[in-house]
Amino acid sequence: MNFIPLAFYAAALVAYVWHFAQRNPAVGRTATTLLVAAALAHTFVIGMQTMEVGHVPITDATTAISTFVWLLALSYLYTEMSTDERAMGVFIVPLLVALQAIPALRPGIEARAPLLQGPLFGIHVSSLLFAYASFALACVIGITYVLLFKEIKAKHLGFFYARLPSLQVLDRMNHRAIVIGWVFLTVGIVAGAIWARTYAGADPHVRAMSLQDPKIFASVLCWVVYSFELFAARRIGWAGRRTAYLSALGFAIVLLNLVPISYFLTKSHNF
Amino acid sequence: MHLLLVGISHRTAPVELRERIDFQTRGLEQALRALAGRVPAREAAVLSTCNRAEIYAVSDNVQAARADLARFIAEFHGVDAADLAPHVYNVADLDAARHLFRVAAGLDSLVVGEPQILGQVKEAHTAASEAQTAGPVLNRLFHASFGVGKRVRTETGVGAGAVSVSYAAVALARKIFGDLEGRSVVVIGAGEMGKLTALHMKSQGVPRITIVSRTMAHAARAAEAIGGASAAPWDELDHVIGASDIVIAATGAAAPVLTKAHVEAVMRPRRSRPLFIIDIAMPRDVEPEAGEIEQVFLYNIDDLQATVRENLARRAGEVARAETIVTEEVEKFGAWLKSRGAIPTVVALRQRFEQIRRAELERLEFKMSALPPEARARVDEITHLIVEKLLLTPTEQLKALGDAETVGAYAEALTRLFALTEDTDATPQADREAAGGKVEPFTRAKGRGNR
Repeated sequence: MNFIPLAFYAAALVAYVWHFAQRNPAVGRTATTLLVAAALAHTFVIGMQTMEVGHVPITDATTAISTFVWLLALSYLYTEMSTDERAMGVFIVPLLVALQAIPALRPGIEARAPLLQGPLFGIHVSSLLFAYASFALACVIGITYVLLFKEIKAKHLGFFYARLPSLQVLDRMNHRAIVIGWVFLTVGIVAGAIWARTYAGADPHVRAMSLQDPKIFASVLCWVVYSFELFAARRIGWAGRRTAYLSALGFAIVLLNLVPISYFLTKSHNF
Repeated sequence: MHLLLVGISHRTAPVELRERIDFQTRGLEQALRALAGRVPAREAAVLSTCNRAEIYAVSDNVQAARADLARFIAEFHGVDAADLAPHVYNVADLDAARHLFRVAAGLDSLVVGEPQILGQVKEAHTAASEAQTAGPVLNRLFHASFGVGKRVRTETGVGAGAVSVSYAAVALARKIFGDLEGRSVVVIGAGEMGKLTALHMKSQGVPRITIVSRTMAHAARAAEAIGGASAAPWDELDHVIGASDIVIAATGAAAPVLTKAHVEAVMRPRRSRPLFIIDIAMPRDVEPEAGEIEQVFLYNIDDLQATVRENLARRAGEVARAETIVTEEVEKFGAWLKSRGAIPTVVALRQRFEQIRRAELERLEFKMSALPPEARARVDEITHLIVEKLLLTPTEQLKALGDAETVGAYAEALTRLFALTEDTDATPQADREAAGGKVEPFTRAKGRGNR
């Protein structure tokens, strides 16, 4: 079923690329429409899965990725509509397509372990997924900032200069996305820690929860990177390009954590 | 009925001549009034800018109108017609439409894609509307041209990128800071160049401008000339730069006034706040190495000129796409124009039918006099509806005819079959109905041209 949103995401990608190259407003509107259609189809798929298993499908890595894609699509659409700025889509939508391919190719939902019921676990996962979606946006905004910065510095005002909003706007958008992401990341980690403490000793997985576990280590590392960007970078004169690089670094860790670590490395998070 | 364009532009006439042929000096209205009084044209509009003077007209007799319009341009400006003749171009029908569309899109401008021309085309139309010399054809033509101008600007890069040094500087400032409101500019040097650039920044919304000069009196005088600007003494330069976002360096100094070390020192307390330095002085005022500092964007006059050249080249590359849009719109306009070729016949046919209906009603007046008023109104309504229904298909078919020859053949056949009168001069009301109510409101000028 995850193929349907994937097809829409792919169609939206084509339209966003076309729009970015040609800047035809009609194509831009088509791109947004396709992405909205993809998000709606995806909402439907997630809704169906929720009805099928009786809870929001976020308990295994595959469905969590699907939900993450859905959240990222919604966050991006919100950003696009509130800033009236479509240029970022060409960077975000490829990520949606690539990640949505995973649930599309690995259908089915694994049964939920009884341990994973309860609101605390729900808060833990949904906060983290939302935080990751914000970080994905921040990363893309950061990349576009660097691209524009380099063009202006090199005094070669070309492709991105004509298509991107100002450095100031990008910087502010990046900062906002990091703030939102950091808040949810903190909530998610704290909720997870409380949950693990509550069920300590109940399950071998929970016993494996420590900083030595790659998944937990990567999350905490993320938190350190973003905290530094948020609270320290500007004070020591790191701004603009450097904070943009930090956003990219942070999201690289997020992606590692979301896909390879979840599938192959973690001992604690594979219920 | 033909569309006609007669005019001169920067492509055909030298500036000395263009200066003399300027309808703006005496006002478009006067020109239009003079035009309406003498030219065998049904409709007319005058487009006048510093680079062109063009008359768009609709006339039944192209040859006569063409010669007369050229003569009019010469006489109206007191120029010898023989001097003017070699510079005048005239084109008709769809070529004239194409010309106006290209003009509105900025494709015929000296600087390709410049934005002012669309406003000037709109002014030309407004003036013609107010003087009541614009009729259905010119209304349609000009509205279509606004659409072309808009499409070309949104769908192609023909109007993209700054093409003058001062606009390039402002565009850069916008790309760095976003909004220019709330930003502040410091101008180093009280010379003319610095003052002009500061004025331009001010017109673009920068609220705070400070002039710093080695001689305080000069700075104060320049600040006064700009209006709303303040002056600061030379020894406060670092402090002023520290509080500013944009620096315009324009002194006559032989050696750089801002070294890299200098700028570094200024940047330290600013932390992450970017600084945009525009060095328009010759020789340069700012050490080029200052541009290596992380949040400093340094552009000198050569850099700005280079971006202008790049923008011009990029615009030229977009022209082909703009021309495609123009061609599309010319075709649309051509289809509309063709559909109008049948209008005199349609109008005559309608008048004939209506005439018969009225005659019959009058003949039956005696018999109907016994009927109550409501019933008589019904009779009137029903007969009217029958006539409308009968005419519906023929009207549609006539408007859909392709070329002028077929239209002529049909017109002749209908004229014979229904004994239509030779005089197909339509009243504005009938013409509007014939056109299906889609034509813009008629003006008196239309009737005037016809009679």
